[in-house]
Amino acid sequence: MSDSSRHVLVHADDVTKTFSTPAGDVQAVRGVTLSVRRGETVGVVGESGSGKSTLARLIMGLQPCTSGRVLFDDQDLSTVKGGDLRRLRRRMQMVFQNPFGSLLPHYSAVANVIEPLRLHGIGSKSSRRARAIELLDTVGVSEHFADLYPTQFSGGQQQRIAIARTLALEPELLVCDEPTSSLDVSIQAQILALLAELQQRLGLSCVFISHNLAVVQRLADRVAVMSHGKVVEEGPTAQIFDAPQDPYTQQLLSAVLPVTA
Amino acid sequence: MTLTQRAEPHDPPESDALLSVRELHTEFLREQAEPLRVVDGVSFDVERGKALAIVGESGSGKSVTVRSVLRLLPRTARTPSGEAWFHGRDLLSLSQREMRRIRGRNIGMVFQNAAEAMNPTLTLERQLTEHLLWHGICGKSEARERAVRALGDVGIPEPERRIRVYPFQLSGGMRQRAMIAMAMVTEPALLIADEPTTAVDVTVQRQILDLLVGLKDRGTGVIMITHDLGVARYFCDQAVVMYAGRVVEQAPTSELLDTPRHPYTKGLLGSSVEVGGQERPLLPIPGSPPDLAHRPAGCAFHPRCAQAESPRCQEEQELISIGDERAAACWKAETGR
Repeated sequence: MSDSSRHVLVHADDVTKTFSTPAGDVQAVRGVTLSVRRGETVGVVGESGSGKSTLARLIMGLQPCTSGRVLFDDQDLSTVKGGDLRRLRRRMQMVFQNPFGSLLPHYSAVANVIEPLRLHGIGSKSSRRARAIELLDTVGVSEHFADLYPTQFSGGQQQRIAIARTLALEPELLVCDEPTSSLDVSIQAQILALLAELQQRLGLSCVFISHNLAVVQRLADRVAVMSHGKVVEEGPTAQIFDAPQDPYTQQLLSAVLPVTA
Repeated sequence: MTLTQRAEPHDPPESDALLSVRELHTEFLREQAEPLRVVDGVSFDVERGKALAIVGESGSGKSVTVRSVLRLLPRTARTPSGEAWFHGRDLLSLSQREMRRIRGRNIGMVFQNAAEAMNPTLTLERQLTEHLLWHGICGKSEARERAVRALGDVGIPEPERRIRVYPFQLSGGMRQRAMIAMAMVTEPALLIADEPTTAVDVTVQRQILDLLVGLKDRGTGVIMITHDLGVARYFCDQAVVMYAGRVVEQAPTSELLDTPRHPYTKGLLGSSVEVGGQERPLLPIPGSPPDLAHRPAGCAFHPRCAQAESPRCQEEQELISIGDERAAACWKAETGR
């Protein structure tokens, strides 16, 4: 396969995450191995509670693995500290389900996009603003509205601002966790089209998490199906959708309700 | 609390529908501004043993429409005007006291988020028997039997044991089923379900819909609010599409989705992603739904409409009948363009 020769950007190697709760330990992720090659979009599907979001946080290094390791460009995230980790984090960004929750409410749209540039000491004050306005324009938010606050935008516009912010540091990896689940269908279509275009234009590698199988089929090159913390099936998107092997994948696909006859 | 403002008594419509809503208008009061018209002249029928889908995006007035019929509006809303005929009575002319005797008994309700809609401090037994006891339908021991049976009917395993648990002790899917059981325990003639499967996974969604199909088969009429066109096609016989507080298209669901006539319905279909449709280009509707305080003049959809090139689009659009069963609020709809 020509794909396998491409460089692997991020590799989760037999990762496990166990949370301790008063009711006992919960194994959210149980021995998952997953690779994302450069320029590739990997879709992760599964029901709520299957461990999709926890896997995303492990891949981003936002939470430590209980066992196993995550390699980003061959570096083990758990061994990188301080300034090195900050520099590594620049190269990976995340888009969340709830855009309002991920934006700073007391910062204007443009200030939200400037913030990562400022934190990483990129550019001067005026060049940062110019760059942020350029990024907002890329995602379809007019300069005219750049100084409004997040509450003054609709959910779809907020998600565009959040995406502009993730692009500010020119990441190599974008992890999207249900980025369109809280949006209306007409707005979801706009955001999906935007993500597909950006990914193609910027050559981003992407992990796309969704419980919406149709969205994943549209965007992903490869798909991993998760259930109870494990990847039960993984493969090229067409293969998973046309000839699912695992009974759980078959069950998921058979529950889909078609819109068109 | 409610004053009927009609000068003369009015008669129910001649249709034999279970629920007939006519010219429903609902307004919300605002400080230092004109009242906001959120539902603007909505009419529809729900037949016995059939399901009606109300489709539309957030802010289109779907939920306010059903809450107007149920008379469960917040204090900032004016009493809705229009008619809502159910069992020979106009629900909009009843007092809250009279409505309380109908809600939960003759009309059941299922909401999107069972965790919020159920009382976290009461066991399922208390919540499931409450309607039966409050309405005086039966005594305590029979109420318990019926509650256990209702839990079993919705596919909750070991209902005898589960009836003693609190809502938080159930998974999301099980909680949603428990809420349906709660709505169905009194065997209401009409069930109103507001996005009942939006918060659950596809496999659970399918199970819940199949459960509701069983109710329909036993003669229950259902109104289902949904933004999921796949759910509408699978479950609902008829559909109305709402935009900015008005019905823009109504038709039998399969016809609506196979041959949409209103540009907004076409836009919704062009925006939806579905498994197996990955080769079809996504056609998002540009812009976002209007702020009702600044409703565009004429057809509220025209600023986003790909086909709005005529000055006629800036005039009000009435629902135009297309054949016996369909109507669309677009002057172009008749020709099907």
